[in-house]
Amino acid sequence: MADLKKQIIAQLNLKDLKPEDIGDDQPLFVEGLGLDSIDALELIVLLQQEYKIKLANAEEGQSVFRSVRTMAQYITDHQGKSTA
Amino acid sequence: MYIRAAAGISPQSSFEQILADPVPVTGSRLQCMEPDYAKLIDPKMIRRMSRIIKMGVAAAIQCLEEAGERMPDAIIAGTAYGCLGDTEVFLQKMVENDEQLLTPTAFIQSTHNTVAAQIALLLKCHSYNNTFVHRGFSFENAMTDALSLLKDGQMKTVLAGGIDEITDTSHTILKRFGLYKKEPFPAGNIFQTGSKGTIAGEGASFFVLQSEASGNDYAQLTGMDTFYKPASGEEIRQHISAFLERQNINREDIDLVISGENGDMKNDAVYDMVYQTVLSGIAHIPFKHLSGEYPTASAFALWLAANILKAGKLPGGIQTKKTPVTVLIYNHYQHIYHSLYLLAAC
Repeated sequence: MADLKKQIIAQLNLKDLKPEDIGDDQPLFVEGLGLDSIDALELIVLLQQEYKIKLANAEEGQSVFRSVRTMAQYITDHQGKSTA
Repeated sequence: MYIRAAAGISPQSSFEQILADPVPVTGSRLQCMEPDYAKLIDPKMIRRMSRIIKMGVAAAIQCLEEAGERMPDAIIAGTAYGCLGDTEVFLQKMVENDEQLLTPTAFIQSTHNTVAAQIALLLKCHSYNNTFVHRGFSFENAMTDALSLLKDGQMKTVLAGGIDEITDTSHTILKRFGLYKKEPFPAGNIFQTGSKGTIAGEGASFFVLQSEASGNDYAQLTGMDTFYKPASGEEIRQHISAFLERQNINREDIDLVISGENGDMKNDAVYDMVYQTVLSGIAHIPFKHLSGEYPTASAFALWLAANILKAGKLPGGIQTKKTPVTVLIYNHYQHIYHSLYLLAAC
């Protein structure tokens, strides 16, 4: 999950944050890290670029991007599978 | 129309620096001296902003703060190049990723109207918002729009500015086109080269313009005009004479001309001609050794003129018979886009 946190920081240009500043279960959006809908698009691109995982449908995003842990779980479940 | 406040980010840190010890030209590019943006812009917004967006937004915020204005009636920007940095990122990713997996931020921020839009987002300003992208008239048309809105009485306070950046890529490409000097020139002096090419520049200059005098204005903008692709020196002289006539002003009434010499032999010949004819005998200073050349450099000239009139001080050790009260700006970009501004001290 530390690598994933580094990738999120780089992709979203969260310069003031270090990986250890992001809790595994901390919400990524609104009250948590304060990410917004543009960040959600950036995270979708991150999944495709780094892990070759394409979200099957947009509605999945809300649960997949709830926290770093849910993202990591989604990556583990889908790595190596084609969802395109 | 009155210039209530003026703020700029340029290769010079401040007007005081220009008076005391301006940053000299040493190569074919003058880059902006940028402030600590974290002190001016919400950190959450900064992370998505490219350099030109930060420059524009910071200049606008500084300008509004100086004027004590929180909510302008309109935000109007002029830019020729737009957000080059993000455009390059976006195009590079298109190539690298075979036109797939494009990051949205670079695309969204690469449009020309991003600076004016980001200022509005920061202020939560839902008023008139417009950006003019008209090459060497981008800033002039932004100003024309601003002045029209103020003159019509529709609005009382307008934030208007000119912004352009130079990136490593654009500098390399434009240098290849022969726009910038290739050979060395006397240290700090681009005007004695007798050669082709100029110095690349960039900047963000914003102004709070108001229809009524506040009692604490930088200057009054009494007139402005543009003319396009003059066919001859005679046509240039006629345009300048007609402009002064419309302003009910004689040549002798002008205390200072700020003009756009940029070190390019052909470019500067135009200014030599007007100083020998229609503007002869008037004290004059160049400004592009301070800002470099770029399509909205006239915004820097307006910022400089406003500061000269407010401070009553001239850069470069220039002496005039009296403290400047009336200042004319004459600039042209590539001998195509010619502009005139007339300012008076308040």
